[in-house]
Amino acid sequence: MHLLKKEMQILKMKINFTKDQDIFRQEVRSWLADNVPKESLLSLDTKEGFEQHRQWEKTLNSGNWSMVTWPKEYGGRGLDLIQWLIFEEEYYRAEAPTRVNQNGVFLLGPTLMEFGTHEQKSKFLNAMATGDHIWSQGWSEPGAGSDMAAIRTTAVLEGDNYRINGQKTWSSRAAYADWTFGLFRTDLDSERHRGLSFILVPLDLPGVTVRPIPQLDGEPGFAEIYFDDVIVPVENLLGGDGEGWKIAMATAGFERGLMLRSPARFQQTAAKLLNLYIENEEHCSPMMQSKIVEAWAQSESYALSIYHTASKMLAGGSIGSESSLGKIFWSELDHMMHQTALKILGASAELSNSSEHDAAQWIKGFMFSYGGPIYAGTNEIQKNIIAERLLGLPK
Amino acid sequence: MNFNFTEEQTQFKDVIKSLLADECTPSSIRDGWSAKKSFNQSRWNKISELGVLSSNLSEEDGGLGMDQVALALMVEEMGYAGLPEPVAEQTFLVNDLMPLFPEGLKDEIKSIHESGNQYIALAHPLSPNPLFLSHAAALLLFDESTYQFILKDDLNFKPLASNDPSRELSAIDSIKKSISSSENFETLNSAVTARGSLMTAALLIGLAQKMLDLSSAYVLDRNQFGKPIGSFQAIKHMLADIAVEIEFAKPTVYRAAHSLLDKNPKSNLHCSHAKYMSARAAELACKNSIQAHGAMGYTWEMDLHIYMRKAWSLMACWGNEDKQQDIIYKTLTTSKDELGVLYTF
Repeated sequence: MHLLKKEMQILKMKINFTKDQDIFRQEVRSWLADNVPKESLLSLDTKEGFEQHRQWEKTLNSGNWSMVTWPKEYGGRGLDLIQWLIFEEEYYRAEAPTRVNQNGVFLLGPTLMEFGTHEQKSKFLNAMATGDHIWSQGWSEPGAGSDMAAIRTTAVLEGDNYRINGQKTWSSRAAYADWTFGLFRTDLDSERHRGLSFILVPLDLPGVTVRPIPQLDGEPGFAEIYFDDVIVPVENLLGGDGEGWKIAMATAGFERGLMLRSPARFQQTAAKLLNLYIENEEHCSPMMQSKIVEAWAQSESYALSIYHTASKMLAGGSIGSESSLGKIFWSELDHMMHQTALKILGASAELSNSSEHDAAQWIKGFMFSYGGPIYAGTNEIQKNIIAERLLGLPK
Repeated sequence: MNFNFTEEQTQFKDVIKSLLADECTPSSIRDGWSAKKSFNQSRWNKISELGVLSSNLSEEDGGLGMDQVALALMVEEMGYAGLPEPVAEQTFLVNDLMPLFPEGLKDEIKSIHESGNQYIALAHPLSPNPLFLSHAAALLLFDESTYQFILKDDLNFKPLASNDPSRELSAIDSIKKSISSSENFETLNSAVTARGSLMTAALLIGLAQKMLDLSSAYVLDRNQFGKPIGSFQAIKHMLADIAVEIEFAKPTVYRAAHSLLDKNPKSNLHCSHAKYMSARAAELACKNSIQAHGAMGYTWEMDLHIYMRKAWSLMACWGNEDKQQDIIYKTLTTSKDELGVLYTF
């Protein structure tokens, strides 16, 4: 009876941080204060900036901060999702550099954890944590964008190897990354989502050609990857041959869900927007007030929702198509906030020299925010998923 | 940190959900409309027998000591069912304020409760026309600086028509006798304002969900161009947009309820946040639901408007989106250093 009561106590809804969680927060804060570079790094989409960001990944790893939720044996700390959210809050508050390896740590990492063999986990997770392997994503093809099941790049099993031929595109970070992960058609007679496999491919192999694509900001944030008789060992297959679609859906769930876009990022933008507004209040009409409120209210709601989801997951729940709701919400919010910032800036909203004008960062973020509703599955595709899987509407 | 419900909290929600599924059907609500008697005494009695009307009173006052989170979850179900009777008002506004009233007033309210769970109506500048006054034993009336307790027999009032026929409103003509007080006014006024925001927020979440469910069912059923209109992306996307808004309004309601329970100094901001998000979700649910129903949605015959009308009323009272926005704006600009990434909780 006593035990039961104690258990009930633990399970009680309590939305305050525990003492241990506060101590953890302080530990994160003081490490970041000592280690976050004082001068901001060059853009991670330039060769030099990419290497600076790789160096930052190594620094993070030296403090065991690469991915706090992973088990210790793979370079993590074995912490829970709430602690990860705390880490993220401190990370954004400290204005620490963008994670150049986010495709790895936030997407492939959790996928490996769920579907990888022990050998794969220890090889890839550790190298990911140290920043030795920086990952790019290889999903889309020229004829397979929103319709990802139309993938045609082939990987034919020959003995202990796959022979890969075809082309991937919009591959984020591929311009300078070391590896790519993605879906390949291993059963040549298959159609649609059957016969696809999830394979990990080093980008320095013979037959791989990477052609960077300059983005709106002029820098190559994504690239095309051509595969011409590229030979990859069968150990690089994640999960079973032909199980790629299922695994990719799980990865996409991580991407849309709480992993890639933790709420701290948007709360920090909302806070900066509020400061920008207060500095420029006398030039603004009352219309801006409602946008400021919307920014705070929505970023706060997103945070509450993610803590709610994380709590449910800690209690044994899982996240499915619900992640599509979040993806729409944060991407639209991010765009709205940047649009508002440019309105507050008035005519200076076109001054793009970052060493002279604060506007430059907002302009860069503004352009990037147009990508949110497109990448990780367009918001239109997410709405189809919501309608079909959550509301039960027909295909 | 555990932002999750206890079994006990969801248990109450399930109990009221199943009761209302049987007792508060669209046809029973329409019966109330045609009889011009939306307060259904037998339904009120059944809810009372379950202990709901006194659920959030303390145990010494004959209640179950239910917390505000469990209450918000129950109220969400009352919204979902479009419940006409003022159960949410009785529990969230009157009962929950009990600990804050001065002793004399507390005794008056208690003696009414003891005479068999009778209803006490409440009026406030943010919701000035009391609900179902003819079924009340008394009225609590807030103005700008005082509050009064008035037995119904000491009141003259006349009916006011609401655009939601389920809401019988009254205008007060005159008061013969009342107990008036300004003791603890600021605290009480701020507490009732926060609870009014949160109560309407929880009801609106339920109503928005109901409209979404009705619309999803309708677009599966209705065929055009040889297939269900729910297979067209234009329709899917309208309904998905509602689902997104509801998803991100819900946790604001649960957080605000927890803040009241926890006596969080920011609970007023949190209640405003909840109403702001829920009103926006409900507004979109009305707009997109009627659109998904096409001309049928614009008829008296379709059940959609039972819930839409209630949502319109609840968006308007206890501080509409504009008022809540103003509260949030003032808090943001005066205490910005205590808001943001480190201050979610």
